[in-house]
Amino acid sequence: MSADAKNTLVSIGLAAGFLALAGAFLMNLWGRPAAVAFNPPVAPDFTNTATVRLSAAELFRTEGDTSGMACYSCHDEKKPVTVKFDAKGTVILSEPHRDLVMRHGRNNRNDNCFICHDSKNLVLLRAHEGQSFKLTESTRLCGSCHGPTYRDWEAGIHGRTGGFWSRQMGAATRQDCTACHDPHNPAFPPLKPAPAPRPLHLRGVATAPKGAH
Amino acid sequence: MTPTPQTGCSNGAGGNCSCSGKVDRRSFLRTSTVLASGIAAIAASLAPLRELTDFGSVEEFIQKHYKELDPGEMEKVLGRIRTEVEKQYGIRPHLRDLKPMDGVEFVYCLNLTRCIGCRKCVHACVAEHNQSRSPEIQYIRVLKMPNGTFDMEKGDHNYAPESVPEKGFFYMPVQCHQCKNPPCVKVCPVDATWQEKDGITVIDYDWCIGCRYCEAACPYFARRFNFTTPSIPKDKINPDMAYLGNRPRHKGVMEKCHFCIQRTRAGKYPACLEVCPTGARKFGNILDPESEVSYILKNKRVFVLKEEVGTLPRFFYYFDV
Repeated sequence: MSADAKNTLVSIGLAAGFLALAGAFLMNLWGRPAAVAFNPPVAPDFTNTATVRLSAAELFRTEGDTSGMACYSCHDEKKPVTVKFDAKGTVILSEPHRDLVMRHGRNNRNDNCFICHDSKNLVLLRAHEGQSFKLTESTRLCGSCHGPTYRDWEAGIHGRTGGFWSRQMGAATRQDCTACHDPHNPAFPPLKPAPAPRPLHLRGVATAPKGAH
Repeated sequence: MTPTPQTGCSNGAGGNCSCSGKVDRRSFLRTSTVLASGIAAIAASLAPLRELTDFGSVEEFIQKHYKELDPGEMEKVLGRIRTEVEKQYGIRPHLRDLKPMDGVEFVYCLNLTRCIGCRKCVHACVAEHNQSRSPEIQYIRVLKMPNGTFDMEKGDHNYAPESVPEKGFFYMPVQCHQCKNPPCVKVCPVDATWQEKDGITVIDYDWCIGCRYCEAACPYFARRFNFTTPSIPKDKINPDMAYLGNRPRHKGVMEKCHFCIQRTRAGKYPACLEVCPTGARKFGNILDPESEVSYILKNKRVFVLKEEVGTLPRFFYYFDV
């Protein structure tokens, strides 16, 4: 074979190779990196700044349903209320109050309604020392027993705040005890956690093992 | 075959090559066919570049450093960003450049007794800061830690039980600690990140070159990198923006927690604090003796994470004891 023919052959081979490569690149035979996996939006609950429950004060302020606090729509003003206990000393709740969970304190000793409620006037609260509070002022009643927590709350350390940290630029919002704690069952309720972080991995790539950094 | 003189002969072809500068028709065609197909192959191999659309504008490219911008130039820059955001997300943002206040140094305190690990702070932060949803970029990482240890290696990021808290564990959210001695600032080769006088370490997203040195330097895993173009649903954009804060980022830049600069420099609490259902998060001005954080530092047992690395964080953890 002459050198010329050899050169022509090599050239044709090279050109064909290059054209095949060009075609392969254009047709994306090796593929592009997979698209980023689409993460569905998180439920709006997880960005909601509402408290876990409504305090009586908030309920009155927002003109919500306060019928549950109209004690004398069922009770008789002239007839004193008696609290009944079973053999174990646990309070027996009457039918309309069955939805209450009586778990204030670790030893179930705080289950007499009239430790906090005023037996003479049911729409009021009554502290050990004898001070009377409206249902909407329950925070001060709580403070009559929970001193250190109340002190922290007054300093803005216990409980939720919102609004402005700068008192010159605006007001801070504060919450009553009962905005987060059920007075009859005050332990903070367990919550469903928001979704775990979805790693920066692309579709089809295995996710990091549990606990990996 | 007779050897031909090779001097000056570029195509190395056979006997037809005349080395006096003239190229014969056949070898010219041959060479140019190979050359053209080679160029075509190279061009085709660069095809993925067509998909690169996330270039900054020329104005952004020639923009001066944040600290060198005078108010007029800053206004022009803000105008450009407003237009870009409006074009991309269909919403005219309330974008401004908020400066640190006098006599203010921010401090964050987090009560580990109260944190239940619900991760609401993480998602309030994502919504507030226009963080990418796919892939997810989150400034706060909540670690589930077994009781009795602060060994970070034992922390679990990916817990997903039906409800929290779980017995035998405590939860420790970690985010940027706004260190007084920030290693991330020291390693930045282009001064795209620096500490402001109110204690917030900020990033100029237009100046960042994406080298990720700061991410490597941070002992708290606080910095996040935009490996891909951030994707945020248009209806989820928070229009309340600050230049050094939550304005949308490009691909290839770092971002991190900046104590909600667009809120806190306007006097408001950060978003993570407002959403926390237990009130575990406390924030304020440490130079104000009446502030909540001053009370905590005076009255509670506080500690900082990885004290031994000498970063002097402005983020304190404490317990209710």
